[in-house]
Amino acid sequence: MSDILFNVGYGHFLVLAALLFLIGTAGVMIRRNALIIVMSVELMLNAANMTLLTFSRMWGDLSGHTFALIVIAVAAAEAAVGLAIVVAVFRGRRNVDVDRLTTLRH
Amino acid sequence: MRVLMLIVTMLLTLGAIDAIAPALAIADPIPAQINNKPRVAITKRSQHSDKIESKDKGMALLFWAFAAATIGGALFVVTRRNLIAAVMGMVGSFLGISAVYMMLYASFLSVIQMLVYAGAIMVLFVFVVMILNRPEDEPVAPTGRAGQAIGGLAIVYLVGRLIFMLMKVQPPNPATAVNAPAPVELPGDIVGTTERVDWGSVKAVGWDLFGPGLFVFEATSILLLIAVVGAIAIARPLHEDQDNQSEPRHTPRDEAAHADAARKVADAEATTGGHA
Repeated sequence: MSDILFNVGYGHFLVLAALLFLIGTAGVMIRRNALIIVMSVELMLNAANMTLLTFSRMWGDLSGHTFALIVIAVAAAEAAVGLAIVVAVFRGRRNVDVDRLTTLRH
Repeated sequence: MRVLMLIVTMLLTLGAIDAIAPALAIADPIPAQINNKPRVAITKRSQHSDKIESKDKGMALLFWAFAAATIGGALFVVTRRNLIAAVMGMVGSFLGISAVYMMLYASFLSVIQMLVYAGAIMVLFVFVVMILNRPEDEPVAPTGRAGQAIGGLAIVYLVGRLIFMLMKVQPPNPATAVNAPAPVELPGDIVGTTERVDWGSVKAVGWDLFGPGLFVFEATSILLLIAVVGAIAIARPLHEDQDNQSEPRHTPRDEAAHADAARKVADAEATTGGHA
């Protein structure tokens, strides 16, 4: 047990990223608020970034850092567009419940 | 609550895996050797300015603290009904992630994570939360009890297997894996000389980003431009309301009062709906 506790290796970072991804997936699946779903997607992107950085460190290859930087930029673009969609949907129907969001027009 | 129980179950699974881990270590001695080798190597001091060395237990404790912050914040995002609480949990989660990046010697990415996520994106989320400003009636989608049980069991099994697999990941070169990574050789200011910069620093990442990743960088700039234009085009009202066109220009105070009245009406509807 103390080996797992005190000998932090690459597996720990990978498991942390996997748990983060799992929590993000659970949020996308069980929550109904579109805003929380966008936030959960951000969590999943961060988990992927953590995996990229872990493997980058593991192989001593800096390309992973470039990749993670690009992922952060894409996540920012995704957040902007996603939040714009959330605001547009809210303006049309006064709620952002994805279960009640069954038509494309309002 | 359900998610919390799920996490507890996963931790129990992790404990069970840990209990059977010694038997596996005996059966497979080569990873144990690999594990022992860097322990000798880490007593050496690294020769460059990266002084972080993971031989102490303090680093492990810090890792667990920041991992707890990350996971706890993520759980806050998924479980809280209050949207502002969810956003604040997300900020805590991002700060923990940033610290974990620092442990992976990704100093530049760590700072970028803190600036872009905990700074910019979260501010955007807070603004949208305050535009919406409505607590949810029922945040979690209802499903059947049998589906929950089967899904929970499947997730626990899958995550247990995943953790078991990931914990066995071994670095390709264990002798250098525990030390701080070697500095990167880059061309210096004078032609013909080389310069050693820290692994994961701004300069090292910049040389990779503007060298092999130049096309991707430019493509990302175009993507960001498209995203900005698209976000404005989507969030703008499609057409002015019919009654608004006949009236003179709206002042912001009018709009605020209008929104306030609409919210009061909606709240009244919600309360009467709750009583009915």
